[in-house]
Amino acid sequence: MADQPFAPLHLRSDADLVAALRAMDREIDWPAAAAATGRADVAGLVRARLVADGAGTENVAGRGRKPAGRSWRWTPVRRAFVVAVIVALALAAAAGAAGLGLPGLRIIFGGPSAAPSAPATRSSPTPPPSDRVPGVPGAGLRLGNQVGLDVLDERAGFIVRIPADSSVGPPSTGWVNPALNDQVSLVWASSDRLPATNEPGVGLVLTAFRGAVSDAWFTKAIGPGTIVRALTVDGHRGYWITGDPHQFFYEGPVGFVEDSRRWVGDVLLWADGPITYRLETSLGRDAAIAVAESMP
Amino acid sequence: MSCRSGHIEDTELIARARTGDVAAYEDLVRRYQDVAMRTAYLVAPEADAADAVQDGFLKAYAALPRFRAGAPFRPWLLRIVANEARNRRRSADRRTGLSMRASAAAGPDAVAASPESEVLAGEAREQLRIAFGRLRDEDREVIGARYFLELSEAETAEALALPAGTVKSRTSRALGRLRDALAALEGGPLDG
Repeated sequence: MADQPFAPLHLRSDADLVAALRAMDREIDWPAAAAATGRADVAGLVRARLVADGAGTENVAGRGRKPAGRSWRWTPVRRAFVVAVIVALALAAAAGAAGLGLPGLRIIFGGPSAAPSAPATRSSPTPPPSDRVPGVPGAGLRLGNQVGLDVLDERAGFIVRIPADSSVGPPSTGWVNPALNDQVSLVWASSDRLPATNEPGVGLVLTAFRGAVSDAWFTKAIGPGTIVRALTVDGHRGYWITGDPHQFFYEGPVGFVEDSRRWVGDVLLWADGPITYRLETSLGRDAAIAVAESMP
Repeated sequence: MSCRSGHIEDTELIARARTGDVAAYEDLVRRYQDVAMRTAYLVAPEADAADAVQDGFLKAYAALPRFRAGAPFRPWLLRIVANEARNRRRSADRRTGLSMRASAAAGPDAVAASPESEVLAGEAREQLRIAFGRLRDEDREVIGARYFLELSEAETAEALALPAGTVKSRTSRALGRLRDALAALEGGPLDG
């Protein structure tokens, strides 16, 4: 109000009070539809959920159902499908955002069944022949090609750090999977000191791959039977994941990666710089962290 | 499926969406997602606005067969979103209040001058934020709908599920209570 510029606000006119509220509006940190959910905006996520629900004319099955007055229900199949569609949206968004360096990486957990057939996946449904060598720890896990520990770094393209924890000792086998982002897996055979995981004969699996962990999405996509606890590993953000078996999706430096192998135990997941690590074990959380923090 | 160039009227997009055209509905969502986010945040600042908005849009899609053809879509949608946001209110965090941008919190000089901001500077800005946060939910919603979301009185009535014709009087009373809250603050220290 021009005639009372210094009067307390409660004494000013309605017009001034309204003007003040409108000025306040300009200063409120309103949430943005595009930023609130990561890379995909609300519209994209709503569409993904509708498609996953089989609504509309653009669903994969082409049923063309009209919207009905029923409430949303999460099912494993729907959840897995949503994950696939969300990932596809992430890819589309990343195409415009990946101009510099590595694209931001999202890791998304899916349900234990109905692996979605997401586009642009680099997964390989047929494991290489060396995956099927019997009697070799990890041979049944579709980890890629078995390679000697002395050439792991060269084959992976990055320095592969190996835990120095004496309770687990050196890994039994090493693997590089060229069909999955050249991700590296180290496998320890089960022993007196290393209880078996869900995979007979396997006591520990450590997978390393290029990428970084973000919880921007997976907290929304994770199933009710899976428990995720945030923690730190050697000062780095990580997660302890237990419960239902998991499938694993992430966006690597050169494309989307679907690692459809079921995890063989509880999982410690953390990132150190450009490399993300996944430790599968039956040792329990604290022992798993100790193993992880023994990496040089 | 949907035309993404040029302006398509809501009624056309709604008609397509009612036949199951998800792309048309996505266009509608994109058209109103920002005001929906603001609505959800206004109603429940302590909750996840994105979650409320997503669920609100999904419920609106399911309710499209009941949407009256020719009626304005925006307030109908915002009513659903506001309800979703109310369902997410958490009593323990009710004093969260609206967050201000860092530039605004930094002080009056950090905010670009405008005809409106000239009437609100320094301490008065903070007192207004605190006073607004102390209002009852109903008062905050009606003031926010009118002056933050810039809804008309009719839209406000629809979005907030108020009887038609009562928005003006409710807004007036809410502004009166805002004055009372400001008066209490302007005579003493800030505690918000």
